[in-house]
Amino acid sequence: MKIVVCVKQVPEVTNVQVDPKTGTLIREGVKSILNPFCEYALDHAVRIKNSVPDVSITVITMGPPQARDVLVRSLELGADEGVLITDRKFAGADTWATSLTLAEAIRTVIPDHELVLVGKQAIDGDTAQVGPEIAEILGLPQITYGVEVNLAETRRQVRVTQEVEKGYEVIEAKLPALVTCSKGELVRRAPSFKDVINARKKPIRVVSANELQIPEEQLGLQGSYTQVVKVFPPPAKKSNLLLQNLEAAEAAREIYSFLKEKRFVE
Amino acid sequence: MLKIDHEKCTRCKVCIRSCPFGALSIVGGLLHVNELCTLCGACVNVCRFDALSIERKKALPEELARYKGVFVWAEQDEETSPRKPRKVVLELLGKGRELADKLGEELTAVVLTGPGEVDTEIYGKYGADKVIICKHELLETYSTDGFTNVMCVVITSKKPAVVLYGATPHGRDFAPRVAARLHLGLTADCTGLEINSEGQLVQTRPAFGGNIMASIITPFNRPQTATVRPNVFPVPVEKPESSPLEEIFPVTLNRTAIRTRVVEKRYLDKDSGVSIEDARVIVAGGRGCQKAANLELLQELADKLGGVMAGSRAIVEQGWIPHTRQVGQSGTTVGPELYIAAGISGAIQHVVGMSSSKTVIAINKDPEAAIFKTADLGVVGDAVEIIPLLSAMIEEENLRGVQS
Amino acid sequence: MHEIYSKTAPEVDYSQVKRIEGFETIQCEYSAYLSDESKLSPKPFDYLFFPRSEAELAAVIKMLNQQGTPFTVAGARTGLVGGCVAQEGALISLEFLDKVMEVYRDEPSGEWRVKAQTSVSLKNLDSMLRVKQLPSLEQSPVEAVRRHYAEFRYDPDDYFYPPDPTEMSASLGGSVVTNASGARTYRYGPTRAWVRGMRVFLANGEYLDIPRGRYTASPAGQFVVYDSKGGATTITIPDYPQPRTKSTAGFYTAPQMDLIDLFIGSEGVLGIVTSVDVALLRHEEKVSIIQFVDSDEQAVTLADALRSEGRIQLDFLEFYSGNALDLLRRLQGEEPSTVGMPPIPENAKAALFIEMSFDPHQADLDFSILEAVINDCGGSLERSWAGYESRELDRFKVFRHMVPETINSIIAERKKQYPGIHKLGTDMAVPDGHMREMWDLYRSHCEGLQLEWCAFGHIGNNHIHVNILPRNLDELEKGMELYEIFAQKAVELGGSVSAEHGIGKIKAKFLKYMFNPEQIDQMRRVKKALDPQGLLNPNDIFPVEVTA
Repeated sequence: MKIVVCVKQVPEVTNVQVDPKTGTLIREGVKSILNPFCEYALDHAVRIKNSVPDVSITVITMGPPQARDVLVRSLELGADEGVLITDRKFAGADTWATSLTLAEAIRTVIPDHELVLVGKQAIDGDTAQVGPEIAEILGLPQITYGVEVNLAETRRQVRVTQEVEKGYEVIEAKLPALVTCSKGELVRRAPSFKDVINARKKPIRVVSANELQIPEEQLGLQGSYTQVVKVFPPPAKKSNLLLQNLEAAEAAREIYSFLKEKRFVE
Repeated sequence: MLKIDHEKCTRCKVCIRSCPFGALSIVGGLLHVNELCTLCGACVNVCRFDALSIERKKALPEELARYKGVFVWAEQDEETSPRKPRKVVLELLGKGRELADKLGEELTAVVLTGPGEVDTEIYGKYGADKVIICKHELLETYSTDGFTNVMCVVITSKKPAVVLYGATPHGRDFAPRVAARLHLGLTADCTGLEINSEGQLVQTRPAFGGNIMASIITPFNRPQTATVRPNVFPVPVEKPESSPLEEIFPVTLNRTAIRTRVVEKRYLDKDSGVSIEDARVIVAGGRGCQKAANLELLQELADKLGGVMAGSRAIVEQGWIPHTRQVGQSGTTVGPELYIAAGISGAIQHVVGMSSSKTVIAINKDPEAAIFKTADLGVVGDAVEIIPLLSAMIEEENLRGVQS
Repeated sequence: MHEIYSKTAPEVDYSQVKRIEGFETIQCEYSAYLSDESKLSPKPFDYLFFPRSEAELAAVIKMLNQQGTPFTVAGARTGLVGGCVAQEGALISLEFLDKVMEVYRDEPSGEWRVKAQTSVSLKNLDSMLRVKQLPSLEQSPVEAVRRHYAEFRYDPDDYFYPPDPTEMSASLGGSVVTNASGARTYRYGPTRAWVRGMRVFLANGEYLDIPRGRYTASPAGQFVVYDSKGGATTITIPDYPQPRTKSTAGFYTAPQMDLIDLFIGSEGVLGIVTSVDVALLRHEEKVSIIQFVDSDEQAVTLADALRSEGRIQLDFLEFYSGNALDLLRRLQGEEPSTVGMPPIPENAKAALFIEMSFDPHQADLDFSILEAVINDCGGSLERSWAGYESRELDRFKVFRHMVPETINSIIAERKKQYPGIHKLGTDMAVPDGHMREMWDLYRSHCEGLQLEWCAFGHIGNNHIHVNILPRNLDELEKGMELYEIFAQKAVELGGSVSAEHGIGKIKAKFLKYMFNPEQIDQMRRVKKALDPQGLLNPNDIFPVEVTA
């Protein structure tokens, strides 16, 4: 059985700072990592592989050449082979153009996919759109916010525990299907050093735009439906208002008004 | 236009049954599409043979002008009867009204629901001119396919210029599917929405974990769609009376179109399992709380704010709270909407664990305490005295709210 | 040369310096300043000062001198031996001297260096260097500073400050006066190896600027300090040999030593360091590996084998005993996500943590030598965890630090029942080849008395921390007796009783195992020369008589 996991290389968001003068991101010292939610998706795939015979995992990513690093990382964590979709023509893609490219790549390169797992969202974009959009383009049923992903006994269905506001719901869908994955209660894996060394021996296939059946005007910036027209730093965070010499009751009232203003209380 | 691959088509007629507009039929032994087709994509979705596809070109300015009005998906609170909208819908109606007024167009609420009774007056009270009601037994509870199909039909039929969804789990589940099916631009988690001088919707949202803001437009595709998180826009003032225009929209849905099935529900009771990492509101205590018993005061405040109680390493080491509630470099890193630091000095090991909190309130007796540097509102005082008074005030307002 | 002139800071009004008076007020509102990580209780003292500049510091020192008031100096208060715990007089907090002043390239050596004030925390320094964001430099009024900073930012390589004590919230100045070391000391040496210059304020309120290499002791083993009033103080450096291991016990001394080395590791009793110049190292990618083995003894053997294998260069080599792993297992059982690592394998009875250079982009990785050493000791590279992305390195580091932190929590819990209980951790190092003997000693005694204990630490430097967790006061006493036995043995083998934590107030009694009375007297004389009234950090290292 073939599981496809879509992964993305993202900057390590917690370290990203914005230059206050230009409003652009400061790239020095910012490391690129495997998007944490993609890692959870991979983790679900590896758990299935470890519990059920005849499962192989292909990881696929769309990005610049250095996105190869996240494929290697995925191979360390248990994937069997990687596919790197890279081409200058993909640059500037919004979620739609990205989803179209990835969906087409999955259709072309891994036509025998039965289960597609993606991370719920990427920590740089946080849109959570690509998963559902790929599902729509491939015509797959989708289950989002999966915290547990299992194959039902017949192996023709996937059973997913979905995070909902009140707790969890368990949902089934027939394969092929797409699941967007969330953290659940998994502790992140750590590969052995042997896995790290062996990952470099697993195959990675590189695919460029002309291998995909997508007209050029539907790729990258040209193919995007949304356009960013401005970036700017968020409004100054800390007003640093400091109140002193208040009686306890007064202080409580001030805090209460503040909470009300910020809509933490009705 | 709808493209039919006759080689692949097996004439199974599933698509004919799924088309809400009756645009498909077999003519001369082959599948045929007529002018009633709106490109809603329902047939493409159900065809198991990949015989159908839709080719879309980007809209020309004349075409763009044909799209009018602001639609808000009115997500229903499935536990109410008659059905009422979730609070975020009211917030979106408020913003939607602004946008509609700027465009000089109408605001419509779109309700997808089961056959039971629906409160429609409420949409008028919060600013909608119209309500479109789609009722079907398969819409009684949310499903990706059911809601996607129906929403696509409504959009292609009514041609709104803007569609807004609450970025609730369901909203984020199907808004992108609608966008993908209809080739629409979608911007998620907007914190700002405006109409610019060209009549375009400018969608502003945070990126890179909130470190940067981006403003986005969808120049060529209509409608422009966006999701907005709850609590971003205010609930507008309720208008005294208003009867919005109601339209019952015919729904065609097949059971086979819905490809997911809920087999079990496991809802949590209130006490278990919010980890502090995911908490939206955190009330955290430090050494300044003086003793373990005082943490109950924080717990009470946390309960009233719908949050959790946590603490600094200092009090973990005192044994007042377990490791699992420790915020800080060696504990958990949190990023709640609201962080209240009570009696915490703000040593760097603590601050690194909570500095991504969106709003910080700090209470400490020492005016020079480092925590004040990270606080939006700092109060010099005794947290042990202030917090119970604050809890009491919230309780009072709550009671007043219930009574009114 | 061996002669140096001290300088005076600009005059400022002493009354402007922020201060808190009265022990009661300090206890209530500034309780954090009462102690350091050792949790040693203070004795009542009268003043708490917060100088905002070197000039203010000088004014305070001068006034306290006039009054004959002893004073203790605090940085980030993360010390483990009570160094900054005041027991009389005044406490001076240096926390407002927290600016990075310059990043520059030293021409002859080609090194990038940072000049920073004492209270810059190691963690902040680390993050600022990681992202190359030092706003105080960007906005400096001095053109050269802005220019050098721009050059630093444009340098394509990344740089870092190698010393990495476990407690990274420690202040830079504090780490210098304790000669702090950490896991990376194995390859890069302790803080001493990275300090290129300092400014230190003496007990008389005047200061010395000491670049490394300029002031060396005379052949007779002396330095002379001339003050601004024409007075001259002669310092005779002690002549005892240094132990053959990491050590922060007692003053550093060597023939014709550099004056700067006298102050590094002196725990603040000779002067107050207000700014330091440190060298940076070019960043290389590393892989962190946790290698699980079948027994503590196997870990010791493997550590020795890795150290002897000249073709492998490790950045660090750390050890976690079986009972340390059990501590982590218990924590994992209670709250897996706090620990953040997969469940420790059941058959893991001890572990070594190593970190070494690694290029993740290399097409073929050849670690056959490492694998061979591990296999020869009966281990297997498959029984390991590895990571090299910076957040993996961070996660592994958090995991390592959980052992000492869990120990602290457990002690805190037990303190509720037995207030007299405190942490019992050794800090002893022995020369190469003796680790096994020390290990057997630790184990046989601790198990012999059926104490709850665990061990972890810098096995690469034969320096592991043995922690006894007393369950009652009787066990506390037994534990303390054991420490005397361990200390004596360590010294007998040529090692040190304090490899990195310092002596401070808590370890003062161990000094006599390493130094005879005459040698301790030599140290006292250095102290007396630089602090005739004995006002500076009294009772640190050795009790000093206070003369009015």
